[in-house]
Amino acid sequence: MPKTRSKRQSGQFVVPGAPLGVIEEFTSGNGTYVEQGRIYAKISGRTLLDLQNKTVSIFPLVHGARVPKVGSIVTGQVLNLQNKTAVIRIFEIGKEQLSGVFSGLLYISDVSRSYVDSIHDACKPGDIVRAKVISEKNRIFHLSTADKNLGVLYALCSQCGHVLQQKRYKVSCPNCGNLEKRQIAIEYGKACV
Amino acid sequence: MTKKEAKMIDKDGVRADGRKPDELRPTKIEVGVLNNADGSAYIEQGKNKILAAVYGPHEVHPKHLALPHRSRLRCRYHMAPFSVDERKSPAPSRREVELSKVIREALEPSIFLEYYPRTSIDLFIEVLQAHGGTRCAGITVASLALADAGIPMRDLTAACAAGKVEGQLVLDLTDQEDKKGEADVPLAYMPNLDAVTLLQMDGQLTLEEFEKTISLSLEGCKQLYLLQKEALKVKYVAVKEDIEE
Repeated sequence: MPKTRSKRQSGQFVVPGAPLGVIEEFTSGNGTYVEQGRIYAKISGRTLLDLQNKTVSIFPLVHGARVPKVGSIVTGQVLNLQNKTAVIRIFEIGKEQLSGVFSGLLYISDVSRSYVDSIHDACKPGDIVRAKVISEKNRIFHLSTADKNLGVLYALCSQCGHVLQQKRYKVSCPNCGNLEKRQIAIEYGKACV
Repeated sequence: MTKKEAKMIDKDGVRADGRKPDELRPTKIEVGVLNNADGSAYIEQGKNKILAAVYGPHEVHPKHLALPHRSRLRCRYHMAPFSVDERKSPAPSRREVELSKVIREALEPSIFLEYYPRTSIDLFIEVLQAHGGTRCAGITVASLALADAGIPMRDLTAACAAGKVEGQLVLDLTDQEDKKGEADVPLAYMPNLDAVTLLQMDGQLTLEEFEKTISLSLEGCKQLYLLQKEALKVKYVAVKEDIEE
């Protein structure tokens, strides 16, 4: 049996910059990078040597930098409404809270599969919204709420400020009886934010 | 002057704090000390006590500072008012502004900033107690905080100063040694890539002394790198045990 050149084994703890081998031995997988023909780790984690496919990758032990990606489900607060878009301040990606925020745009045509008359019928400033990232071109996060688990999770009455309760496809205020339209998520009022 | 000043190095080559010329100060590093930060680390190097925290990557405010091709690393080196003998004004001094820039430039080559365009990574280095060599200890600890934040990095950066005190070349100068000594050479180094990212010199050295000083501080950086690795390992091995329980 030929001697393996690398002394590395699977499951070893490595820190960023740890040498993992050379490109003649392995192809570089997740969590690694190549510089001048050598493979190094770029995050802390445990090594994973796939000897069948000759790939070295890192199983991350750190949560990693959290940035919205296409397809990720994000939660945020509606900051303001423009003519046909809502600006949403994203503070949560998946279930991970961010230390800062990212801004997202919700365009009226991405609110629902059916026709929406006005963006004001979908959400209002201050609402907590769950949405999916559909594009990150030029680092502008375009969001969509066209799914039954996406949409407004929590809203306040625009007249008296009381928490709104779901009433079929609308929301009503138990305090003043005001009836408002929203693009409601299936989890409306149940998700803890 | 009648009284002879106490010497920094005695005839056996032992320094005022009992160290050998090529010995680092006793160093303790801890990773992940702050809950609210994305990544954090704490270092005690001799009498230095420094805390580093990383937030991000996140959106840049004000927005015109965002760079289209890479993330912006924003670094703040700050000394607490109680970190030195005489109260330091908490406002950023000229020295702190310069050190922030120098530290940022020492760490930038180690980070894959191009992975997160139009975002910023905010780095805060808070010196709680200063006793010479805080810029180097700051770089060492900031690099760990970045690694703890899970930001992809080319290598860890370790930094250490060396210099000349009473005609002798010594490693890791303290405050007194720095002030009374003839020269001080802080150096930051990425051990796996064998790259120097910071090199400054204050004072005068001959070319020969300069080369010796550099190799001395490189050795110091390599020792610190081992401590950095150990600190990260301690954190993540402990995390794993928590899960297994």
